[in-house]
Amino acid sequence: MHTIGKLAQNAEVTIDTVRYYEKEGLLAPASKTDAGYRLYDEDSVRRLRFIRQAQQCGFSLTEIRELLELKNSDAACCSDVRNVAIEKKLQLEHKIRALQVMSRALTELVTICNDEARPLDECPILAALESSMSRKTEGGKNG
Amino acid sequence: MVKVEVFSSPGCGKCAQAKAVLQAIAEELGQDKVTWREVNILEEMDYAVDLGVMSSPAIAFDGELVFSSLPSAGKLRAELDRRLKS
Repeated sequence: MHTIGKLAQNAEVTIDTVRYYEKEGLLAPASKTDAGYRLYDEDSVRRLRFIRQAQQCGFSLTEIRELLELKNSDAACCSDVRNVAIEKKLQLEHKIRALQVMSRALTELVTICNDEARPLDECPILAALESSMSRKTEGGKNG
Repeated sequence: MVKVEVFSSPGCGKCAQAKAVLQAIAEELGQDKVTWREVNILEEMDYAVDLGVMSSPAIAFDGELVFSSLPSAGKLRAELDRRLKS
């Protein structure tokens, strides 16, 4: 059995993180000492590693809960998990596209700012951001 | 002519049977009116993202995402009829 400190250390997370996962219903102690301290078994260690690994793959805690439910469901099979992974990949690909658009916009802004010695109130990057913001505001009013 | 594209991944057992039912409905209308294409999301991920597919299975009509999950037979038929009339 592991104390909360040992469990956290093992998974390279903080004690607060373990408590947060517990609050979110992702993890639970196997038992408690007479003094009320939480104790965790090897299953908790594996579960915590699973949560960390899934987070690193981009899964949210809600999605991880879904994966853990699938993992423990007799009715689920590997293709159910695969489907969750495919949907996650689709979301990531959408995010990558959005980030690429933002990156290209920033490249354009950096390109138009070719005089580093200009005073701040003549900064073309700030001007471009301001004008795009005012266009959005006007568009919002019209739309 | 309406082009129907069904986005899914191989091995998606739960949707295979439902897809077959929908495909039969679409093909009843005649291949001169409706074309049915199964798109493997894993092989055509870029195309799926282009159309805004966020979950699987999903159905697009003429390159436009319409159903983000498999529709009922009635809904599919209604959408096909609407597009064939317009």
